[in-house]
Amino acid sequence: MNEYGGNRWRIIIPRLLVLIIFGVLILRVGYLQLIDSRYESLAGDNYLRYVVKYPPRGEVFDRNGEYLVQSKICYDLMAVWRDMPRSGVDTLRLLDITGLTLPRLKNALYEARRSPRQGRLVAKYLSAEEKLQLDELNIPGLYTVPRTVRQYPRKIGGNLLGSVGEITDKMLKNSSEYYGIGDYIGTEGLEAAYEEELRGVKGLVLHDLYARDEAHDQIINHPQPGKSIVCTIDARLQAFAEDLMRGKVGAVVAIEPATGEILVMASSPTFDPDELVGRERGNNYMRNLNNPRHPLFNRSVKSKYPPGSTFKLVNGLIGLQEGVLKPNYRYSCHNGYDYGKIHVGCHEHSSPLNLDYAIATSCNAYFCYVFRNILENKKYGSVKDAYDVWCEYVESFGFGRKLESDFLGEGRGYVPDRAFYDKRYHKSWNALTVLSLSIGQGELGCTPLQLANLAATIANRGYYYIPHIVRSIEGQDSLDARFYRKNYTKVDARHFETIVHGMWRGVNVDGTCQGAKLDGWDVCGKTGTAQNPRGEDHSTFVSFAPRNNPKIAIAVYVEHGGFGASMAVPIASLVEEMYLTDSITRPWLVDYVKQKQINYYNAYDRKRQK
Amino acid sequence: MTARDRNSVRLFVGVDRVAILLYVALTLFGLAAIFSASWNETSDAPLSLDHNYMKQAMWLGLSWVAAIVILLLDSSVWHKFAYYIYGFGILALLSTLAIGTTVNGAKAWIAIGGFRIQPMEFAKIAIAIATARMMSEYSFSLGKIGDLFRLAALLMLPLGIAVLQNDLGSGLVLGSFLFMLYREGLNNWICVPILFIATLFILSFVLTPVTLLVALITVFTLSAAMMMRDKWLLCLKYVASLFLASILLYLVLCVAVGEGVSYYATLFGVTLASLVAVVVYAFRKSLRQLYVIVALFFVSSMIMPTSDIVFSHLKEHQQKRIQSFLGLVSDPAADYNVNKSKEAIGSGGLLGKGYLQGALTRYRLVPERHTDFIFSTIGEELGFVGTLTILLLLAAFILRLMRMGDRQQETFGRVYCYCVASILLFHVLINIGMTIGLMPVMGIPLPFVSYGGSSLFAFTIMVFIAFSLDASTRRELPTYRYI
Repeated sequence: MNEYGGNRWRIIIPRLLVLIIFGVLILRVGYLQLIDSRYESLAGDNYLRYVVKYPPRGEVFDRNGEYLVQSKICYDLMAVWRDMPRSGVDTLRLLDITGLTLPRLKNALYEARRSPRQGRLVAKYLSAEEKLQLDELNIPGLYTVPRTVRQYPRKIGGNLLGSVGEITDKMLKNSSEYYGIGDYIGTEGLEAAYEEELRGVKGLVLHDLYARDEAHDQIINHPQPGKSIVCTIDARLQAFAEDLMRGKVGAVVAIEPATGEILVMASSPTFDPDELVGRERGNNYMRNLNNPRHPLFNRSVKSKYPPGSTFKLVNGLIGLQEGVLKPNYRYSCHNGYDYGKIHVGCHEHSSPLNLDYAIATSCNAYFCYVFRNILENKKYGSVKDAYDVWCEYVESFGFGRKLESDFLGEGRGYVPDRAFYDKRYHKSWNALTVLSLSIGQGELGCTPLQLANLAATIANRGYYYIPHIVRSIEGQDSLDARFYRKNYTKVDARHFETIVHGMWRGVNVDGTCQGAKLDGWDVCGKTGTAQNPRGEDHSTFVSFAPRNNPKIAIAVYVEHGGFGASMAVPIASLVEEMYLTDSITRPWLVDYVKQKQINYYNAYDRKRQK
Repeated sequence: MTARDRNSVRLFVGVDRVAILLYVALTLFGLAAIFSASWNETSDAPLSLDHNYMKQAMWLGLSWVAAIVILLLDSSVWHKFAYYIYGFGILALLSTLAIGTTVNGAKAWIAIGGFRIQPMEFAKIAIAIATARMMSEYSFSLGKIGDLFRLAALLMLPLGIAVLQNDLGSGLVLGSFLFMLYREGLNNWICVPILFIATLFILSFVLTPVTLLVALITVFTLSAAMMMRDKWLLCLKYVASLFLASILLYLVLCVAVGEGVSYYATLFGVTLASLVAVVVYAFRKSLRQLYVIVALFFVSSMIMPTSDIVFSHLKEHQQKRIQSFLGLVSDPAADYNVNKSKEAIGSGGLLGKGYLQGALTRYRLVPERHTDFIFSTIGEELGFVGTLTILLLLAAFILRLMRMGDRQQETFGRVYCYCVASILLFHVLINIGMTIGLMPVMGIPLPFVSYGGSSLFAFTIMVFIAFSLDASTRRELPTYRYI
């Protein structure tokens, strides 16, 4: 018994018990808070997420500073199930605004319900008006997040500019580590070629899931906006060329010879690039993909067209360089070239004729002689060795190989090599066997870009700059060095003047392409009518103007367009006129081109329907 | 009482100022935590009574008024009206069975206007007063069986009503009176078996019946052997023959009866039969300790099945909580509260994330963050500094109450103070224990800190009665100096 009137231990033990209980609690709490670090990250997992911040994609201007591609704002509709009214929402109105179907809305809300505290995507690509309508409805739990998508103010150059789409699994596997699931990537054309410049650099923030405003976000990396690009394309010219090509299948490519800048690259049929943006992207893409005329196929750089008579320019130049042809050599032509059983037809013209007239009037026989002279040159011992030399010449003009332009997916065309003929003719072939190469027929294939490059090379008298579509990139002083290098052909500059004269004569005096004549501009050109066993001939034309200090070199290719002079010449002439004079003095010619019906095109559609 | 005393303002004279300070500190701490847990920055009217913190502030004001009233009352009223208060408390408890509202499965609340009151909170005061009244009777002795039964009846009545209300958590608070009873000199021979049975009760959930039975037999035989130091070999023989016999019998029964024979029943039957022999042996050899051990074993083996019966009567969510706590089943839903609470507390670190900055609290990821899990709010926002502060405040407060009890001149006051200390200790242990995963989840608030008007009000009355009793004792001490 003590002063408090009790057993000593009966007082001490309860106190000890209290101290032990609190000691255990304090130790446990201290362990949780000070030593065990597991819960700290677990707690963070509840509300913190790493969120990628997408930079705005770089914009694209044409050479005159006009917008080709803009970024426009759109909104994604998100839902936080927990905040949504339990009484339900005006579903009908919601469907009306978002354009969703009921099952898709239900599905989206079901997903939102499964993670009720997080914002879940309900609808993509809402316009500003739709967003305002939603704001007016003021449904708690529904909110919009801004995003940027592409917009094409002039609606031109679908294939040229390409499009931006979500990265596919296959692309993801092959691409660098930069990309993640759901990222957007340039899929075609310029967007793909300059993806790294345009995309910018993604930012990263530690996002607080429950803080609706972004003030709580902890920024780890700032996103860096994409660089804007000035394109070499002349938007007005491009639009004009696409307009002229409407209803035709083919391509127009124009190059500024002094720089290699591509002024126009119109592949027809084309599509409205805006179609491949937003909610309808998938549907429109499939529609274009299933179109029998293949609007998604960029004919300017991917096709393999027989060059036809335009290729005579190359053969003439090679002959001159090899010394087996002199400008004053004259050959006779009586409706063609005959040797044994071989007959290469030609049209009516005066005979015999020299080189510049042979070019102007596009004489087949003349170039058969030239070609035989090249291949049967005693200097090389055999035709086959001479053919190798010929191939080297042709490749120096950019045929049969990629031009190394900045355009992804560029085709190489086709120039058959010696092995090809060895195989086909069991090693038994000679100059006559491959005679059709002399007039650009046979196995030859080239892209309109290569043809335009040929025009530019001749305009420059022997060299070309690699054609490219980008003029400057924001924040960069210069482009890749290869675009500033003169690429010389194996033909000396002095041989070009005769060919140029022939081309000038063809337009301005007595040739096949007098429709291309522009007063005061000294247009030079060469038509081609590529024979085609499967329908009407392809119409093609290469040209540059003016003769001295040329400003534009152009190639036009119209499938099944008939004679070079009937389709390709007027189109090229109008584009040149537009570029050189900023005006059209021959509206009737525009009408002619636009109204020209090419009956063979029905076959495209029929083929597909089978 | 002196004339000077009568004429002076009696209110705070003799009141333990340290205890008052601790009380004020705890309630304000709690209010701040509730504000943090329920504050909504977008609210238009931050002072509207719609907010939990404003309700709590209002209740805190009411509590202070009640506290002053209690200090003004003569402390002898509690002794005089003890049984009336008890009767009133029982009536209030019973009324919930008739007109109660059900919250979280417990029909333990009465709705008045916009507020809900849990009569158990107030009944606890009544029970404490009645217990103190009964134990302060001159003839009352904890050594007398009759008095023990009277006391048990006094406590079992509200406990029974709590069980009927399905509010077992509150009912278990009365179990904490063991703490007070120990202080009052309850025989160790009663304390130890009660603790043993409680342990057994919990173990019966965890272990299979056969394991438990084998463990019991082993433990009891071992203790018998320790009591009768020269009978080691005999005990060993006993255990060996018991298991051998039971296994043989089991095999015979399996062959004879076929299916439906459990080893548990066989072992249990053989053991009970052997007990007859043990009792006869003890009688012959006059080994009194053996009677005790046999009796204890008998009681224990009876209790084992009761745990199953009690368990099967619990609500499903309670079953799950207990099973989840004991690690029997992994139930994500039952673990959720505790996990989130542990994450919140664990992420607080030393200094916490700052007041009003606790993410898990702010984003309402911790359930019941302003009521039963208020401790996790404090832990997350104020860190170890905050939790240590609140724990030390509570410990000091409880120890202070025990000190008040020990310096009482009257048994009534001492018992009452220890009752209050027991109740508070139980609440703190269960509540904080559950927020850090040491205890199963029970709907028990943290005194003075958790949101809940009736709880705060009742605890205030409860402790201020103790303060008042203490003050009157101190005023009458010859050594007391007026301030």
